[in-house]
Amino acid sequence: MAGIGKFLVRRGLTFIPTLIGVTLIVFIIAYVIPANPVRAWAGGEKASQAAVEMIKKEYHLDQPWYDQYVFLVKGLFTNSLLDPLNQEPVFSNIGNRFIVTFQLALFAFFFVVLMGLPLGIISALKRNSATDMTLRVVALIFISTPIYVIAYLFIWLFFLHWSLTTLAGIPPGPPHKITHIPVIDDMLTLNWGNFVQQVRRFWLPGFTLGIAAAGVLMRFTRNSFLEAYSRDSTLFLKAKGVPRRRLYRHVLKNALVPVITILALQFGGLLAGTPITETIFNLPGIGLYGLQAIMYLDFPALVGVTFLYAIVFVTANLIADILYAVIDPRVRF
Amino acid sequence: MPDKRTAEYEEREEYEMSVLDRLSDRLIDWLAAFITLFRKDWRRRNQSKIKEWKLMAYAINRSPPTLLGVVIVIVYIFFGIFGPYLVSWSYDFFPILYNTSTQLAHPGTTYFLNVTTIENGHIVQYTTHIHFLLGSDVSGRDIVSVLLAGARTALVLDIFIILIGPTIGIILGLISGYYGGAVDETIMRITDMFLAFPALILAIALSAVLPGRIQEFLNSHSWAQTLTLKLFALHARDVNNLGKLLAVFVALVVVWWPGYARVARGSTLTEKENLYVEAARAVGLPTRTILFRHILPNIIGPILVMITMDFGGVILTEAGLSFLGLGAVPPIPDWGNLINQGSQYFPQAWWLVAFPGIVIVTVVLGWNLLGDGLRDVLDPRTRRSLEFKLKKKAGGGEENA
Repeated sequence: MAGIGKFLVRRGLTFIPTLIGVTLIVFIIAYVIPANPVRAWAGGEKASQAAVEMIKKEYHLDQPWYDQYVFLVKGLFTNSLLDPLNQEPVFSNIGNRFIVTFQLALFAFFFVVLMGLPLGIISALKRNSATDMTLRVVALIFISTPIYVIAYLFIWLFFLHWSLTTLAGIPPGPPHKITHIPVIDDMLTLNWGNFVQQVRRFWLPGFTLGIAAAGVLMRFTRNSFLEAYSRDSTLFLKAKGVPRRRLYRHVLKNALVPVITILALQFGGLLAGTPITETIFNLPGIGLYGLQAIMYLDFPALVGVTFLYAIVFVTANLIADILYAVIDPRVRF
Repeated sequence: MPDKRTAEYEEREEYEMSVLDRLSDRLIDWLAAFITLFRKDWRRRNQSKIKEWKLMAYAINRSPPTLLGVVIVIVYIFFGIFGPYLVSWSYDFFPILYNTSTQLAHPGTTYFLNVTTIENGHIVQYTTHIHFLLGSDVSGRDIVSVLLAGARTALVLDIFIILIGPTIGIILGLISGYYGGAVDETIMRITDMFLAFPALILAIALSAVLPGRIQEFLNSHSWAQTLTLKLFALHARDVNNLGKLLAVFVALVVVWWPGYARVARGSTLTEKENLYVEAARAVGLPTRTILFRHILPNIIGPILVMITMDFGGVILTEAGLSFLGLGAVPPIPDWGNLINQGSQYFPQAWWLVAFPGIVIVTVVLGWNLLGDGLRDVLDPRTRRSLEFKLKKKAGGGEENA
């Protein structure tokens, strides 16, 4: 593990400018907010001038931009930014919703791995055959089909026709909380009744969300496998007369290095699809919250949601980098 | 003419030509002739390049998926340009005003309308019938017409976003990779800032907050207003909806450049170590020339594939935003917006989701197929193997000779 500590420190340090950058962009978004929403927050057309002034003061909207920036950053990091709709801190509103989004992403991730990896490997093993061609076309169709089209096909099939899923509300989590993510808690506490409920509600949204990423992973795994297969080391193994099975095991080990990094990146990428998925499947996650915030001109909430997405995304990227460094010593230097 | 004879000899020796090959040959010859009009002697000096292009075209002609992609893309561009003029009903003609039962009419139904409109200051009354081949939307508009007119919205956004976003990204990437040092650090940190957001999230946030500002700008600059109306083939009464449409445009440009900056920088870093760059510098060529005439052509391959795929990506994202109610608002014809309407009446009005959905998937698939094919063609390894195969096929003739 030579140099891994140094790498971690170096990589961790680059996290800081990125974080500052994220707050800057979030601030720009907050700053260009149009059509002064203060009047709406104060209660619409009939709001008194005094109330409008008070809200302006509360959100530092009458201050120069650097003061607004400091106010926003402080608000984001200490959770003191208030949602004007219910006067509660934004992240307190987000808390429970984030669990829903995270669980949705987990389900999607499960399907991505379940479909992407094996199909990609099969496609590579049977390269240039009819199976390979079919799988490649399937992957391309997966990538080209947006969530908001395939979701309705699935709802029609799995909900209206076969009623294999539920689409209203979300089941409450198990009583005993360890990780605060219902499915994982259910598995840890062996609460199978609740587990089945969670799966019934979340599998279809997760499947829908994951399908595009599964297509990407299929293609990536196939290419990575073929690349590893064409290395000299493979040729050497072949010359040595290693049986096919063992040969493929060696190739697979090499091929999976970049695949694992891509997987970590894809978990972050899945987040991008959550607003649309949550809207269609009516899941009360942060994506839906952000979209509702847009509708109600509730911009502090929008800023909070955007910030949270960025933080999770950046963290996923960080994990991808660290994983890569742990698996492949070459990138540590 | 020894020149000519070798050319003929090579042509005859190598390839079995199909109809498509001849067609693509002719197209490329025309293109070469066209460029020669502007640049003296271009054709003679770039013979190897023309030959290379022809070989690429042969490779494309021999891969059915890529050909399918080419056909889909050509059809998409055709409808993008001429769609708004081929519609049977204007996108802002609302049959529901004249016959309320046209709302969400089933595919294949026909309705009679008693139209009363004002034309040139006169009240005009007439009866007509409207046939809904693919059904109608919430305001009774013919889906076929909206889809056709929506192709323009999609194409214009597509082309302009791809024209601006990646260009900015590539230029910044070239500069950053070539100069290195502080310039590189600054540009890359800014790129990282943007890449820290999932693309769609940033696009959602931006297209939520931008419309007001953009509408202000449009209202104070009438030339911008006219230009956008012309580009999207919209009527003058939609001026107040342009802000939201252009907000999506700006949001997607902002989201789309950083990826290209990173890729271009990466390739520039390796490319600038080559001797030919050093030679160009030694000769004293200006940096601009080195960057755009020497380095860029050598790194453009993978970027071109990325661009082709992103033509589809932009369509997906743009339709996704209008599905969420951002971007194009109802009278403006848009594919994603139709699905948005359909989502509220889903199992009953399935055609509102199905037909725009099929159109979107087909177009995006077309671009992706084309991108895939281009990747194979532009990758020297696969291209050589393909050429080799082609030559072998014609090889029988060679042996005889």
